[in-house]
Amino acid sequence: MIPRLLLGFLLATSAVVAQTPTATEILKQITDIMSPENAYSKGSQTIITSSGEERTFELESWTAEKGASTLTRYTAPAAIRGQAFLTLNSADDIWSYFPRTKRVRKLASHAKKQKMQGSDFTYEDMGGGDTFLEKFTPALLGEEVLNGELSWKLELIGIPDKEPPYPKMIIWSRQSDMYPVAIDYYDESGFNTKSLVLSDIKLVENFPTAMKMIMTDNKEHSSTTMETLEITYSWKPEANFFSERTLKK
Amino acid sequence: MNRLVLLLVVPFALWAQPEFFGYFESEMDILQLGTEKYNFGYNKFRLGVETRPNDNVLIGANINAQQYWGKTSWNLFDFVPGYTENGYTMNFILPDTIMLDNMYMRISFPLLDLTLGRQQISPGVGYAWNPTDIFNHKSLMDPSYEQTGVDVIRLYMPLGNRSSFNSIIQPSDNFGSSTVQFALGAGWGRFDFGMNLTKQFASSNTTPILGDPFVEERFLLGGSMVGEVLGWGVWTEIAYNKLIATAFPPWSSIAYPEVHKPYSEILIGLDHTFDNSVYLLAEFLHNEHGVGKLSDLTVNDYLVNLGGSTHSLMQDYGFFYLMLPPMDYITLSALAIANFNDNSGTIAPQFDWNAFENTNISLQASGSWGASDTEFGLQDWGLRLRLLSNF
Repeated sequence: MIPRLLLGFLLATSAVVAQTPTATEILKQITDIMSPENAYSKGSQTIITSSGEERTFELESWTAEKGASTLTRYTAPAAIRGQAFLTLNSADDIWSYFPRTKRVRKLASHAKKQKMQGSDFTYEDMGGGDTFLEKFTPALLGEEVLNGELSWKLELIGIPDKEPPYPKMIIWSRQSDMYPVAIDYYDESGFNTKSLVLSDIKLVENFPTAMKMIMTDNKEHSSTTMETLEITYSWKPEANFFSERTLKK
Repeated sequence: MNRLVLLLVVPFALWAQPEFFGYFESEMDILQLGTEKYNFGYNKFRLGVETRPNDNVLIGANINAQQYWGKTSWNLFDFVPGYTENGYTMNFILPDTIMLDNMYMRISFPLLDLTLGRQQISPGVGYAWNPTDIFNHKSLMDPSYEQTGVDVIRLYMPLGNRSSFNSIIQPSDNFGSSTVQFALGAGWGRFDFGMNLTKQFASSNTTPILGDPFVEERFLLGGSMVGEVLGWGVWTEIAYNKLIATAFPPWSSIAYPEVHKPYSEILIGLDHTFDNSVYLLAEFLHNEHGVGKLSDLTVNDYLVNLGGSTHSLMQDYGFFYLMLPPMDYITLSALAIANFNDNSGTIAPQFDWNAFENTNISLQASGSWGASDTEFGLQDWGLRLRLLSNF
């Protein structure tokens, strides 16, 4: 009797262990679910500064190659209307366009760390593709309930040779579909510099989509809310869409 | 003016959904020049309109209305060391203007964009100087200010994601004396490369003291590169120029006595954003067309440079720009310009405040160093207040 019980317990335990995915598997699923092949969206970006001042920008964005190529153009307010940014190779290459001077400028990689229009998002935060898989080593820290969702807690440690955007990140992705619900970003000293919360997750054309993302800067105590107002994943880029020609249009 | 407005507004009003935008800018300046302190400034209203009758056509136009106030009549010799004291005068007046700055149509075909009309042309990768730019003259105190439109026909052909061919024709009264520019651009890894060939005829006023202008034929072979080395943004822009004076004056049978020598301009730039978000940009220009020694400078060199015919008065310059991390819509920055040939320069800290949405207030102070007979040492200090509101 005892051996049977033990056998049953061992079998049950091994079944649970077998169901627990590895950190790399989770990260791959996160990357897959967050990176539809193409997308076009319209959205708003509301910045609340540390002194409580609020400004809202409107923008439209095109992405392809699972987010490795993006083009973002501001449509409001008037002061920045027409400013656009093109990123290729997961934001390794960035070009900016300023309509007042009609000039396209290639930005060096240090510019990736600059804030987009003073927001709490940097250019490299907007980059997609396989950045997580290529530039980080994942480790599974366990599971936690976050915002009512049972989530995997994953630690990503940047691979120095790969120029990771952050030395360390912690991602919570809900177990139901692996879609991330929160990300903490850390600096070299281990300080949690920024926190991203993804909410209002809806199924759009079979892709879970966070309609609202709030990035909080824990140093400056500012925050930026990005809201998706319109999105489609059925948009397909024409040949050479992600080019200087489109940037200037 | 009524005709201009009518010309601009009626066609657009009749067309589909024109977008109107622009800005109002008001500037007040104080300049200490020798023993005199001058007040001057302007109010500028810029109205832009764009419409897209269909997906392949863009029509755009801008009107500038600019009103100057304070000191509007200047003696050019005030900016030439040693001449004011000797009583020389060459006055120029800043008149109130209403100007059609741009008016163009762009037709996009699958393989090319054709743009006709007055349009802004901004060649080159440099920030403060663009050796390959024959169309514009930048203000070193504000290099990112918009440029005036140029009447050209432009053909842009993308050759893949990161390559393009661009040709520009600036028509003259006869085709043979039109300015023509061909440019190729290509990207490879983290670098973008450019090459251009330009032929220009210009009625250049390079000998104003002597009187009539002469016709210059100019050939320019230019190249540029922008990329990244060791985490720093780097760029270079090079132009090899050959000037030929064809007549003096053009309708005269007298041959111009001086043969112009070929000259080169080389610009090197670098920038970096440090971990603490401080941004630094530096550019260095070597311009063989400039004068190498202070003692060799003539009044003509000053007047040619003030007229915008050369990219610099002397040969070797540095431009530096430092920006501290923005704080709640406030940006503190400073620029410095150094003339390494006469050891003069100017430094200008700047305060920018995005006070309200679409509204900026900026204050720039400038102080110069160098002897009183040098390019920048001639001016003592200046103060500029600028209000800008976009709509």
